[in-house]
Amino acid sequence: MIFTNYLVCFVLIALGIYCMVTKKNLFKICVGMGLVDYGVNLLIVSVGFHAGGTAPIFNISELTRDSFFVDPIPQALTLTSIVIGACTTAMTLSLIIMLYKQYGTLESDQIRRLRG
Amino acid sequence: MTFDFSNFINNFPILAIMSLFLGAFVSSLVGRRSAKVRNTVVFLSMLISLVLILALIKPVLLEGKIINYWLGNWEPVNGWAFGNSLEVDALSLFFALIVVVAVFVSGVYSFFYMSHDDSLVNYYTLFLMLSGSVLGLVLSGDLFNMFVMIEIMTFTAVALTAFRNHYEGALEGAFKYLVVGSLGSTSVLIGIALIYSQMHTLNLAQIAAMLPGYDSPVILIAFAFLFVGFGSKAFLFPFHPLAADAHAVAPASISLMISGVLTKCGVYGIIRLCYCLYQNMDQTFVQYFVTGIGVISMFVCVTMAFNQHNFKRLLAFHSISQVGYVITVIGLGSALGMSAGLFHAMNHTIFKGLLFLTAGAVQHATGSLDLDELGGLSKKMPGTCALFLIGAASISGLPPFNGFASKWMIYQATFQKAGETGNFFFVVVCVAALITSVLTLASFIKVAQSVFFGQLNLKFANTKEVSLGMRIPMWILAALCILPGLFPDKVQQWLLTPATQAAMNAPGYIDAAMGSGYAASFAIPAYQPQQIFLSGAWQPVMWLLLLISVTLAVCIVALLGGDEKATVTSEISADTDCDPKYDSFFSGEASVYSQVGGSDLFWGFKHNWRRYFSFMHDWHSGVVNDYTLYGTAAIAVALVLCVIFL
Amino acid sequence: MTTLLWTIFHVLVFPGLLFCVVVGLLLAGLDRKLVARMQNRVGPPLLQPWYDFLKCCGKETIIPRHARRGLFLAAPVLGFAALITAALFIPVFSYSVYSTSADLVVILYLLTVVGVSMIVGAAASGSPFAGVGLSREMVAMISYELPFVLVMLAVGRMAGVGTPLGVTFSLQAIVDWQAANGNLLFHWSMIPAALAMLFVIPCEIGMHPFDIAEAETEICEGTLAEYSGPPAGLFRLTHCVKMYVMCALFCVLFLGGISTGYAALDALVMVVLSVVLTFVTMSVPHAVCARFKVEQVFKFYWTVVAGLALISLILVWLGL
Repeated sequence: MIFTNYLVCFVLIALGIYCMVTKKNLFKICVGMGLVDYGVNLLIVSVGFHAGGTAPIFNISELTRDSFFVDPIPQALTLTSIVIGACTTAMTLSLIIMLYKQYGTLESDQIRRLRG
Repeated sequence: MTFDFSNFINNFPILAIMSLFLGAFVSSLVGRRSAKVRNTVVFLSMLISLVLILALIKPVLLEGKIINYWLGNWEPVNGWAFGNSLEVDALSLFFALIVVVAVFVSGVYSFFYMSHDDSLVNYYTLFLMLSGSVLGLVLSGDLFNMFVMIEIMTFTAVALTAFRNHYEGALEGAFKYLVVGSLGSTSVLIGIALIYSQMHTLNLAQIAAMLPGYDSPVILIAFAFLFVGFGSKAFLFPFHPLAADAHAVAPASISLMISGVLTKCGVYGIIRLCYCLYQNMDQTFVQYFVTGIGVISMFVCVTMAFNQHNFKRLLAFHSISQVGYVITVIGLGSALGMSAGLFHAMNHTIFKGLLFLTAGAVQHATGSLDLDELGGLSKKMPGTCALFLIGAASISGLPPFNGFASKWMIYQATFQKAGETGNFFFVVVCVAALITSVLTLASFIKVAQSVFFGQLNLKFANTKEVSLGMRIPMWILAALCILPGLFPDKVQQWLLTPATQAAMNAPGYIDAAMGSGYAASFAIPAYQPQQIFLSGAWQPVMWLLLLISVTLAVCIVALLGGDEKATVTSEISADTDCDPKYDSFFSGEASVYSQVGGSDLFWGFKHNWRRYFSFMHDWHSGVVNDYTLYGTAAIAVALVLCVIFL
Repeated sequence: MTTLLWTIFHVLVFPGLLFCVVVGLLLAGLDRKLVARMQNRVGPPLLQPWYDFLKCCGKETIIPRHARRGLFLAAPVLGFAALITAALFIPVFSYSVYSTSADLVVILYLLTVVGVSMIVGAAASGSPFAGVGLSREMVAMISYELPFVLVMLAVGRMAGVGTPLGVTFSLQAIVDWQAANGNLLFHWSMIPAALAMLFVIPCEIGMHPFDIAEAETEICEGTLAEYSGPPAGLFRLTHCVKMYVMCALFCVLFLGGISTGYAALDALVMVVLSVVLTFVTMSVPHAVCARFKVEQVFKFYWTVVAGLALISLILVWLGL
C-alpha cells in the first residue's frame, strides 16, 4: 500500500522532469512543473502515513496514550507546499502569456535571446 | 517587574524579519496614494531591521550568546522540538549582517534608480518580501521554514527580474529562473521530506543531534538532494546560466540582491548542511565534492565572462565565479578555510554590489549596457568611474582592497590543506584559484577599457553623471571595500573568528536549542575551538604606509629634480581644443573615432582556447529545456556519488 | 626617532628607492650594451638609460584630448611606488627589512599592481594603440602568471616540508631554509622550476622577444603610445627597476642561501648575480630571437614553461 505511494510519487516526479526536459512547448513545461510538485506532495503525505491511523483531529481532552493517528506535520507541510505550487503555476502561466506577447511563439527553443 | 534588556534582545531577530514583511504589507496598502509615504515606510522598515540586527552584534558575536526564539513559546518537551524556532548564532548573524546591509544599500539606491519606472508599489512590496525572506532564511532554526523562505525568495526574485518587462529578455530570464529554480526548490523539498521520514522532526538542532549517528541510505540521498537544492540557490555549476540570464535583465538594485544576498543563502545552506546537520566535513569525499564543485564554478564562470558583451551579464558570471571561491574554501573543512570563505562571502557582497550599482548607473545615464558600444565614459561620469575602479580592483584582488585580504586567505587555506594532507588535488585547487584571479583581472580590464576608457561614442555625448542619491550608496559600499582590506585582523577578530567557531561548533548549536547535554547524549563529541594558523604574513596598514611613503618619495624626487617648466602640464582649454598636438596618436593621420571594443580584447588568449570557448558558447544554449537537463543531471550525479562514496 | 630615520633610510636609500633605481638603470644599460656587442655593434654608453630618463624629465607632458587626466598622471607614480614597495619586501639575502610582514603572494600581487597601473595608464590615455597594447600586456600577464604560480608553490612546498603546516609562503622561511639546507637551485628536482622562473623573468619585465605589449614596430609602443615627458620617464624607470626586482626575486627563491653576513657584501653579490641573470635571461634571448606573436607567447608559457614548473611541483610533492 505505502510502497505504491512511493512508487507513484517517484514516477510522477520522473515524468514531470521528463516533460520539462523534452517538451518544447512552454505550457507543457508548466504542466511538467506541476507534475513534479504533485509527486513531491504525495511523497510528503506518504511520509507521515501510518497504516490504520485516524485523522489527527483531537481536543486536548480526547488525546490519550493509545490514540493512534497519522502524523499531522507532513499534512501541514503539504498544505503549504500546495499553496506554493499554485503560486508557481500562476506565476509561470502569467510569464508565458507575456512571453507569447513579446516573442510571438510558445516554443522554448525560439526563446533564447540570452545565451552564450 | 523590571525591564530586562538581555532577555528582550531575544525578540530582535523576529522583529527584524517582521519589520520587513510588515513594511511590504503596509507599503502596498498606503503606497498607491503617495510616493513619499511609501518611500518613508520602506526606508523605516529597512532601517529598523538594520538597527535590530546591528544591536545583536554585541551579545551574539562578541559575547558568544546563541539566541533561541520559539515561536508561540512552543519549547521542546522531553528533548523533542515541536515548535517553530529562530536560532541565531554567530554564523547566522554574520549572514544576517550581510543581508541587512545589502538590503539597506540596495533600497536607498532604488529610490533614485527606479524613479523612472511605474507601478513602484509592486516593486517595493516584492523587494521587502525578498529581503524579509532572505533574513528569515538565515535566522531560521527550522528546516521547513528554510524551505518556505527559499520559495518566497525565489518567487519575489523572479517577479523582480521580470519587473522591467519591456526590457529585451527580461521575461525570458525570469522564466528560465522560475523553471530551473523550481527544480532546485523541489530538490530541497524532497530532501526535507526524506529527512523528516527518518527523523520525525524539522528542528535543525535536533536533526543535527540525531543525524550523525544515524545510518540509512535515505539520509545519504537526502544529503544529495539538499546539497543540489542549496547549490542551485547559490547558482553553482551547472545552474550558473540562470544567474547570468537573471542578472543581465533585472534592475541593478535587484542584481545586487540576487548576487549579493540570494547566493549567500545558498552558501549559508551548504555550510549548515555540511558542518551542522551532517557534520561530515571531515570525510575526504565530501571535501572533494564541495571543493570540486567550487573550483568548477569558479573556473567555468570566469572563462564564460570572457565571451560576454553585456556589462551586467559579465558581472553575473563573475558573481558565480566568486561564489565558487567561497564554496571551494568552505569545502576544505579547516577553520582557516571557513573563515577565508566567510570573509570572501562578505567581500563578494560588497564589491559585487558596488559593481552592479555602477553598471546600473551607466545604464541609467546612457541607456545601454553593450560593451562594444560604450566607451570613454570616464570623462562624463568621473565619480562612477572611480567607484567602478575601486570595485574592479577589489574583485580582482589587488592590494590593499578587501578582495586581496580574503583571496590571500583563500590561497593560504588551500595551500595549507595541500601541505597538511600531502594531497595534490588541493595544489591544483590553489593554482586554479590563483589563475582565476588573474583572469578576473583581465575581464575587468576589458570592462574598464570598453566602458570607461578609450574614446567616447558620439551617441553618448550628452551623458550626465548620475545623481548624488545614487552615488552615496555606492560610496558606502566603496568604503566597505577599503576598510576590511586595511584592517583584516580586526574583521578576523570581531566577525570571522566568532562566525567560524560557531559554524564548526555543531554541539554548541544543538545544546543552545535543546538544552545542555543534549548533544552529548547523542554521542556527539564536545567542540574544541580550532586555531587559525597563517603560514605567511600580510599587514596591509604597514604596506599602505610603505606605499604612501614611497609615493611621496617619488613625488619629492620628481619635484626636486624636475625642471620648472616641465612640471607644468598642459590644461586643455578653448584654444588648445583644435591643436592637433592633443589628438590621439594615429600614425600621422588625422585622428578619427576608434575605440577598441570589448570583444576585440584578449584575442591572443581567446585564440588559443577557441575550441573551449566555442564549446562553452554552444553549451549555454539559452534553451530552458537544456538548463533543466543540466540541473537534473546534477541531481543524478550527486545522488550516485553520495550513495557510492558516503 | 632612530627607527623613523632607519625607515626613511630603508625606503629612500637601501634597499629602497635609490638602490633599486641605480641598479635597475645599470642593468638596463648593461643589457643594451651586451645586446649590441652580441650583434656586433658598439652600442650606447652604459649610462644611456640615465640620460634617457633625465631627458624625459625635462620634456613637456602632453595630455591627449581623450585622456582621463588624473589617472593618466597617477598611474606611473602608483606603479613605480608599488614596485619599490615590492623591492622592500624582498630580502637581500640575510639583510631583510620588511620580509617578515609579507610573503610570496603579496609580492606576486604587487608585481600585478605594477602591470595593472601600466594598463590603467594606457586605458586612460584613450588611444587605440594603447588599447591594443593593454590587451596584449594583459595576455602576457595571464601567460606568465601560471608558471610563476607553479614555481611559487613548488618553492613553498620544498621550503615548508619541515614546518608543521608542510608548506610556506614566507620569503623569510624560504631564505632560512636555504641557509640551512643549501640553495634550491642545486636540488635536482627544483632545476625545472628554476628554468621556468628564468623564462618568467623576461616576460614579466616585457623584454624583447616577449615585448608584445610595446612592440614599437607594430603598435607604436602600445601602452606607452600617448605618454610623454616625466610620466613616460617614470614608466621607463619602472621597466628598468623591474629588471632588478625580478632578478633579486630569482636570487632569493633559488639562491637564498648565499649570505656573507655583511649587508654591503650581500648587496654586491646580489648586483653581480643580477647582472649574470640579466645576461642570461634578457640579453641573450634579445639578441638571438625575433619577437613572438601574441598567441605564441601565451601558448609557449602555458605549455612549455608551465610544464617545466609543473614537473618540479610534482617531483617536490612526491618528496624527491
